[in-house]
Amino acid sequence: MNVLSPADQAEAAAALAGSEGRVEIRGAGTARDWAGRPAPADLVLDTTAMTGVITHNPGDMTVSVLAGTPLRALNDTLAAHGQRVAFDAARVGLGATVGGLVATADTGPSALVHGSLRDLVIGTTVVLADGTRARSGGHVIKNVAGYDLSKLLHGCHGTLALVAEVVLRLHPAPAAEATVRLPCTIDGAAGAARVVLSSPTEPGALEWADGELLVRLSGTPSTAAARAERLSRLLGPPAEVLDPATAAQAWGRHAELVTGPGDTAADDPAGGPGMLRIGVRPSRLPGLLSALLGELGASGITAGLGTGVATLALPSDPATVERAHELVHRAGGTSMLRSRPPRSEAPAWGPPPSAIGVLRAIRTQLDPRGRFGGGRFSPWMEVTG
Amino acid sequence: MALHGVAAVDGPLSDAARRAFEDVLGPDNVIRDRARLRSYECDGLTGYRVVPALVLLPRTAEEVAAAVGVCAAHRVPFVARGAGTGLSGGALPVADGVVISLQRLRRVIEVDPVDRIAVLEPGVTNLDITRAAAPHGLYYAPDPSSQQVCTIGGNVAENSGGAHCLKYGFTTNHVLEMEVVLADGSLVTLGGPTGEQAGPDLRGVFLGSEGTLGIATKITVRLLRLPETVRTLLADFPSVAAAGDVVSDIVAGGIVPAAVEMMDTLAIEAAEAAVHAGYTLGVPAALVVELDGPAEECDSQFEQVKAICERHGCTRLHVAADAGERAAIWRGRKSAFAAVGRISPDYFVQDGVVPRTRLAEVLGRIAAMGDEVGLRVANVFHAGDGNLHPLVLYDGSAGQTDLAESLSGRIAELCVELGGSLSGEHGIGTDKACSMPAMYSDADLSVMDRVRRGFDPAGLCNPGKLLPTPRLCGERPGKWRPHPLEQSGEIERL
Repeated sequence: MNVLSPADQAEAAAALAGSEGRVEIRGAGTARDWAGRPAPADLVLDTTAMTGVITHNPGDMTVSVLAGTPLRALNDTLAAHGQRVAFDAARVGLGATVGGLVATADTGPSALVHGSLRDLVIGTTVVLADGTRARSGGHVIKNVAGYDLSKLLHGCHGTLALVAEVVLRLHPAPAAEATVRLPCTIDGAAGAARVVLSSPTEPGALEWADGELLVRLSGTPSTAAARAERLSRLLGPPAEVLDPATAAQAWGRHAELVTGPGDTAADDPAGGPGMLRIGVRPSRLPGLLSALLGELGASGITAGLGTGVATLALPSDPATVERAHELVHRAGGTSMLRSRPPRSEAPAWGPPPSAIGVLRAIRTQLDPRGRFGGGRFSPWMEVTG
Repeated sequence: MALHGVAAVDGPLSDAARRAFEDVLGPDNVIRDRARLRSYECDGLTGYRVVPALVLLPRTAEEVAAAVGVCAAHRVPFVARGAGTGLSGGALPVADGVVISLQRLRRVIEVDPVDRIAVLEPGVTNLDITRAAAPHGLYYAPDPSSQQVCTIGGNVAENSGGAHCLKYGFTTNHVLEMEVVLADGSLVTLGGPTGEQAGPDLRGVFLGSEGTLGIATKITVRLLRLPETVRTLLADFPSVAAAGDVVSDIVAGGIVPAAVEMMDTLAIEAAEAAVHAGYTLGVPAALVVELDGPAEECDSQFEQVKAICERHGCTRLHVAADAGERAAIWRGRKSAFAAVGRISPDYFVQDGVVPRTRLAEVLGRIAAMGDEVGLRVANVFHAGDGNLHPLVLYDGSAGQTDLAESLSGRIAELCVELGGSLSGEHGIGTDKACSMPAMYSDADLSVMDRVRRGFDPAGLCNPGKLLPTPRLCGERPGKWRPHPLEQSGEIERL
């Protein structure tokens, strides 16, 4: 298998125009087997050499980067200007690239206020399988001119096109953050979450992490602390405002739960757990999670009680995962199997969305020979080429 | 470049197609009478007019799907229409095609205060969403100025913003899920109940696609809790540059205001002539700054904003003491567009975006371009996000129409030259399709065209809009006129 590591979009376009066969796009490798296991490819397009800031306009609060840039490194650079990309998926800490985070539609706790990268990407340049380069959007946050190609790439999991460059909207880095913690069950958390969300304290994140509800507030040192105190009083004991070190530890644990055990369980003959990500109307989340816990032995749950998005570890045998997809689907939600043990044949997806025909048609338009992303979305969208 | 814009229309609408529309909708829900058809001949951009062959008035999503199914079977181009307030000719009918009006789909299907969502039919007006949510202490954030009459379906098509979109985002940031009728008449769901996606974000591609990818028949939006505190000020400055510096310093201070709006001398003069909102006549620039949020945050940031204004030589600083004074400030700001009619017999309204840091530069260039051809340009803009609305003043009876139209078009292209966009909120529609090559390469446009073909291989869905076509780009628009609802005072705009 041939591996090419282009350094910019021109080299990426040349690599694609000058090759044939199936292509696996690979970034930092933090989501390699999400959304379906990659089929054997003729060419691996490694994006990790496509790094660096192209333009940072601090006054306009925008930045354009090559898509292989790790988001963590980007945020380190932006911190010097008091700015950040307001996005905190757990994988960011593992070195995930901006392009990979776009392609996998990943999210973190800050989605409660800032959404996912689909809400923060304001421009993109993509490279099609035939080497065609196309751009949409730009460096302005307000823009109704043409189709937004970045949306099409958000969640494409390496199909459709290569994300080559990304323009991101920036936000001020908060001067201070405070976290309120309430130990509770998922059902207790649901009630507490309603109290938090109907209060005027405007939390920046609201997550239940396997036994405790965490609420993050951003502001200046004095205002964040004051709002955290206000919220803590509103929730009543045993809610408490955490000191910074304990808060960092609590959010670190949350990120570890989201990431799951990874490949550490690879040698487990029972197969080890798979990580399922689900989204369902927030009011249905506690009931659905209880069912997944009780019936299927889910564990290590994180639940965004404002966003409706949760992650959990699940035995990775096909029957269990299929049943989990079915339960989520019945609750009107969406589910995707993320990482799983290497030998697991569990399905990545539940029933296909009603718009699968459009997705296939767009794929035929953009990648008629089906070069990109073989194995992803299996069996919804099998490669034709 | 041969793009997809124009459908292969085989000629006048066949009798078989007419009968098929009547069969699926009932004869009473098909408008055939030419006088009635004429009231659908244009949207808010009244310079373009085409009388459609028929106007269809479906009452349900299933009827919309059935009507589009007839279009697909008989190869009839169709144009969806909400309230008709669009400003780019996005709902301009196609000759020999049909207009599908969504005005009868106006139910608020559900408001869920726990999940903080509303489920709506496309004909529900923007303001009615907030009205339905208000009893729960919730509201719908995007607030285009035509919000009293514009519909959520139209907001989806244009990805509408509003004065408060700097902090709260645009329609795309608030729509979770849509039921959509595709060009083949099938009914599908895009998006989902949360931000979690099962595949690429087709929801996001559809939002802002100006009615070219299908017709939304059911829309689920997020609702937000009303902020605890709102603080608003109006400040005068000795120059546009000074006001621009204030905006820069606010941003550099880590503050994200709910809204920052700027007006220049001419715009202030017009607004005061119309509504007497208490703006100062003759000052070079006025800023409206609004902050909202938890009391602790809002109060401390408001003090910072006041200090920044004073540091940049603000000549008057008026803080709204109550909701009434806040409403007066906004009335002045929002009336500026239509009010320009009081200081000039005619005007063109433009919509462009520049990176915010280039506002002073673009205003200088616009003034110079106006001086060069002897026309005045009033400026009203969303300073926070760089969205400009230059108003080119002219006198049609003095033969200045062509000159003014050309100046307005060059201003939009200047925005692109300065790294911005042809449109911030009014859309490309019919109006600016021919300018798209100024912003995008042939490859960019052809890839967009391929996406369009994925949704609509037959090219029947709102043809001639958004992407340039040789036929369209040979035509010339007429003079811009205010929307009839605007003239009658029923709507206002930014």
